Formats: sequence, C-alpha cells, structure tokens
Amino acid sequence: MIKRSFFALSKPGLTCDLLEPDPEAPQKIDVPALLTLLLPEPLDGSRDALIQKGDTVKKGQKLQLYEDSIDYAVSPVSGAIKSIDTFTADDFRGLRTRIAIEKDTQAADGIEYPEMKQEVSFAAGHMNHLPGAPPFGRLARTEVPVNTLIIMVSDTDLLSTTSQYMGTTHAATLQKGVQILKQITKVPKIYLVLPDMLQDRVRFDGLTLLPVDLEYPEALPAMIMKNHLDKILPAGTTPEEMGICFIQAEAVVSLARAFETNAPVFEKCITLIDKTGARHRVEAVIGTPLGQIFSQLGIQINEMDRIVIGGPMQGFATFTLHHPVTPDMDTILVQDRQFITPLSDNNCVNCGKCIQVCPADIPVNLLVRFLQAGQYEAAADKCDLEACIDCGLCAYVCTSHIALSQYIRLGKHELQKLRADV
Amino acid sequence: MNNTKLTVSHAPFWHDGDSLFQMNLNIILALLPAAVYGIIQFGAPALGVMALSTSCAMLWELVVNRVSKQSFTIGDLDAAVIGLLFGMMLPAVTPWWLIVVGTFVAVVIGKSIFGGIGANPFHPALVGMAVLMLSWKMFFDFDTAYVNYIFDFPALTPLAAVKSQGAGVADLFSLSDMIWGRELGGAGTTFGLGLIIGGIYLILRGYIRWELSISFIVGILVTAALFYLSSPDNYAGPLFHLFSGYTLLGAFFLITENSSSPVNRIPMLIYGFLGGFMIILMRNVGAYADGTVLAILLVNLANPLVDNIRPKALGRGINNA
Repeated sequence: MIKRSFFALSKPGLTCDLLEPDPEAPQKIDVPALLTLLLPEPLDGSRDALIQKGDTVKKGQKLQLYEDSIDYAVSPVSGAIKSIDTFTADDFRGLRTRIAIEKDTQAADGIEYPEMKQEVSFAAGHMNHLPGAPPFGRLARTEVPVNTLIIMVSDTDLLSTTSQYMGTTHAATLQKGVQILKQITKVPKIYLVLPDMLQDRVRFDGLTLLPVDLEYPEALPAMIMKNHLDKILPAGTTPEEMGICFIQAEAVVSLARAFETNAPVFEKCITLIDKTGARHRVEAVIGTPLGQIFSQLGIQINEMDRIVIGGPMQGFATFTLHHPVTPDMDTILVQDRQFITPLSDNNCVNCGKCIQVCPADIPVNLLVRFLQAGQYEAAADKCDLEACIDCGLCAYVCTSHIALSQYIRLGKHELQKLRADV
Repeated sequence: MNNTKLTVSHAPFWHDGDSLFQMNLNIILALLPAAVYGIIQFGAPALGVMALSTSCAMLWELVVNRVSKQSFTIGDLDAAVIGLLFGMMLPAVTPWWLIVVGTFVAVVIGKSIFGGIGANPFHPALVGMAVLMLSWKMFFDFDTAYVNYIFDFPALTPLAAVKSQGAGVADLFSLSDMIWGRELGGAGTTFGLGLIIGGIYLILRGYIRWELSISFIVGILVTAALFYLSSPDNYAGPLFHLFSGYTLLGAFFLITENSSSPVNRIPMLIYGFLGGFMIILMRNVGAYADGTVLAILLVNLANPLVDNIRPKALGRGINNA
C-alpha cells in the first residue's frame, strides 16, 4: 500500500505499474473439474430456461437462458451442467445467474463452434465471452454508430500489467486483430493507448498512438477523452453513448487468435498480487474458481482476508473463493486482514484533500453531505454527482476515512432508480 | 477453503494512512514550540492554564458524548486542539473557572451542538474566546494581568498600547523582540518564530492549506501598509501588525480551521485576504485593540458564500452530441 508521503503539499502521486522489461510468460492454471460461468441475466421463474440442470454441454457451446436473451456464455469444457441458480452479485450488479459445469474428463475434445464470419453481428452473437470482454454488443448496435475505437494497451487501475503484457508481447497478433476489427466494424478512427514509457519497446505500424502518463488516473476513459481527443464526457453519460468504444488489448489479441484457429479462446491472462505485494502472472480458463488459482500458487487465504477483483482503486471485493474467472478480470489483489484499513462513520471535516485530488473537479465535501442525507437528486443537481468518473482518489485520501466512493456509487444507483420510477 | 469468510467492502481498497488523529496530533505538535516558550516566559501559571484548558475541553467533549449517547470522539484529538489553542490565547494568569466556562462554550456551544467535528460554522476556540472577552473583559487586559511579573522588555501589550497611546508607541517594540516573543500576550501566542515554524511545518505536511495562511498574511500586510502610507503618524506599520497580538496564531491556526474555511483555491485566497483585511480594519478603525478573534469569526460567516466560487465539474452542462 502506498502511504502518504511525509511532505504532502502536492497530490498523492499514485502511478500505475509499468510492465517489467522482460516479462515472463504467465503460469498456466490447471482446468478445474468444476467451472462456473456467470450471466448478467436472472432466471425467470415463469419460463422454462433453454438450459437445465443435468444437460450435457460441449466445449464451445453457446449457453443462453432464453430464446430472446442477449447475454450468453460459452462453455470452456465439455461436461454436464451441475447446477444453475440466480444470486445477488457483488458491487451493485443486481441479480445474476451462475451456471456450474462439471467437466467430463472422458469426453472427446470436440468443439462445437460455427464457421467464422467477418461480420459484426456474428462477433456480437458468438464472441462476447472472449478474454478481455470485447464490446461487440455495443459495436453491433447502430442507433448511435461507434466512430472511434480505442485499444487499451494501458491498464486503467494501479498494480495491473495485464493489458500492457498482452499488448506488447503479442503486438503482432494485436495488429492482426486490429485488421479484423477494422473489417468487421468499419469504424473510421482507431487509436491505441499505451503508457508513454512503453513507446520505445514496441512498434505498432499504421496505428495512431496516444501515449499516456503512468500517473493515476490518466488512463481512465474520461481522462483519455479529455486529454487526447479533446472531448469532454458529459456528466452522467458513458463514452459508448458518444460513439467512443474502449476495447482491451487482450480482447483484440483473443479475437485474432479465434480467427486464426477458428476456435474460441478461453485462457484469460490475470495479474495477481499476493499478500506480500509480489506480482504473479497467471493464465486461467474462464470459469476457474479463484480458490483454484490460490491453491496452485500456494497463497493461503485466511478468515477476514480480502480478495479484490480489479485494482485497488476501482475493483470490487468478492465474498467467496468460488468466484470464477470472468472475461473482464484483469487483476486480483489479495490483502491480509491486518492491512485492511477500517472505514469510519465520521463526518466530513472539510479538510479539502478530496477537492485537491478530484480529476473531475467535483465539490466532494458538499456532495458527501447530500449523499449522507440521502438527497440524491440534490446531489446530482447541485454537487455534480454524475460527473464522478469513479477513480476512487477522494476516498483514498479522506482524512475522516469516509467511504466516499461507496456513497457515490450508491448515490448513482439510487438516482437511476429514482429516474426510472418517474 | 469452502467456508472462508472474507472481508467485503467497497473500493478503493487502499488508503493513504492519514487520519483525524494524525492531523490533530500534528497540529498539536506544531503548536508546541510556541506553547513551550510561553511556559518558559510566564512560568508555571502558563502551563497550568494550557493544561487545564486542554483537559477541560476534552472532558466537555466526553460529557457531551455521554449525554448525547454517542460514541466517544475525544480519541480524534479535535477537542484537545481546541483546548490547547484556547489556553494559548488566554493570559497566563487566567482564573480556573474562566477556563472551565470558556472551554464549555468552545466545545459544547461552538462545536458539539452543531453536530460535532466538521459541522461547526465558526472556529470553536474563537467562539469561546469571544464570549469570554465580551462577558469578562477585565481578565483580558494583558497589561494588568501580568502586573506582578518583572520583564526585561517593555511590559506593555503592543496592540493595546498603540490603541491607547497612538502609533508612536510602536517604536518601543522592536521587530526582533516580537519575533522572539519578548512582548506581552496570551500564554502561548507571543513567540512569533515558534508559530511561524509550526505553521510552515503544517503547510509542508499538507495539514493546513497554504492559500489561507498566505492570503491572510498578504491581507494583513497590504491593508496595514495602505493605512500606514495614508498616515504614518496615526497607524502602525504592516510588520508591527503582523507580529503582534494573535495575528500569527490566526494566520496558521485560526483562519485555517478546516470546518469553517473554504476548500476551493480562489475562495481560499479571497477568504484569507478578507480575514487579514477585517483584522486591520478592526484594529485601526474599530474599538478593539486586537480584532483577530472577532474578525475571524466574522469571515467564518462568509465561508459558505465565497466557497460557491468553484471550478465547473467535468462534463457539467455539456449536452450529448
């Protein structure tokens, strides 16, 4: 954990990690006997789902709950569905469905996968699950066409080097992926974001590079748009609503690999930071429970430790070791219980540190007062709740240890509900 | 492995390690040079006043916590800071009952009834001081308070002397005397150098906002210089004002109080300047010898208003293309 420096007249100066000069290949995690896939859609009790407990599935088979479902998963192994149920997911994600698949070790490694087509609708229908979670669903929608595609070879959060690793060690594959992307999406502008210190280490021909500083939060989408594209993200909207789509380097690499082999890709590259702060790079099949990764790496997880999925600033803590590897899981951070800083219910003391660090110039000290009082609409109207880009810096520096990010997340969530009711 | 209970909380999962305790501890540390000098200068009574004031303030906080059935908050040392500041501003010979009453006003009326730490619109120690100064004026005449002391420097309070005898008296007090604390004043406010060192320490550590201190000092100097230039016979010079009375304590410890001061840069500059301006106005035009207490309370009022000047948030008022 990076502590406050003794002299703290300036900003905290958190910098993202740079990829080491000779990155080692990731350690492969064995495919477990039981895998779990997550779907953002809950089970509907009044309808019969297309997939049921006991069904056999083949590797590469597309699994969706109903005929009209948009979301789907692709089975990484052949086997049988052991269970299927709906649960409340972490971090305001609402109800989700998890499908547990028991691997059949006897099954032939037959892959059920349709013929590759260089069409965006095909990609949206069959390749959303690829490691790196490519946003094909958004690219396929045409109401607001995507006019700018930004490939992220930078990692957005601290500690992670997954995108940098995938983007630099697989630069050639990445470029093939970019060609495929160009053909299937027809997006006119494609940029590649990478840390400025990596510029000399890798070459990308024919791509416009946007070098970003390693200082946090320069690589967040809203900051890239502001600093490099001269576009200010309107408060309360997403880049995608403006026709700007961000795509992870790993997604582009996976896309190229899938087209190359005419088979789906399931191996997700993950940066794992253990309790001592040491970095491991692992490659696990999507659906692998985290517990399997920890036991293979010899990381002991004790009661009350914290497992963070995503980086220390924007990730979320999971409640179970059974949480599976998902397509968008770049980072896992394990924290020992004794290093977990407690939050408090103190009032804001108006020390002004949050104001100093906020990249979106939000009056956080006033905002938190509205949020604590539950006045979410006033918070949005008067204190720019929706301008927040979720970088987490305010809560990182808060002298009072207020759970500022949590208040803001809750505020945005409640605001959405309020607006939906109107 | 199956049933390991994990800690779950919201991002971010790191913290810079700072806390209210750390912040207040550092403020107390920064006050110590001036406080210790006061004890050397005025002897045991000064120690008694500051110790009683600090402990009383903490006790009042404890009582309020107990009565309002809330968790104990004296651990954050905020009451200790209020108490110490309050004690340092009092004359070293203040009777005990005055301190007990004053800290009650400061902690209970100045802070707790507004909702505790962070909710007070005025500096609590100044609320206590203002009430005492208006109610028991005779105890705040430093010249009579220290009548039993023998000093090797002019035993006059610089600001009161200038007020009653005219600006010519200002020459009695050399600048180096005032910086080195060779003047009459509160139990811990005479040692200018100590206060400056403490203030710079806090600025460098990021516990007070430099914009407030610097603009406050600029406000004092500019306003006093204007008065002095308009009529050097009637008004003392800017440096005299800067190093006399509570000015330096005000610049680094009073105007910078978190809860009652703005947080945006331009408002901080305006607010600090306004504070300095008001003090000189009170000293040169008003009835009080040292207007620091009332002037800062007055600008505390302006805080919510000036703090409305703030940068536009990212993406505010932009319509989606």
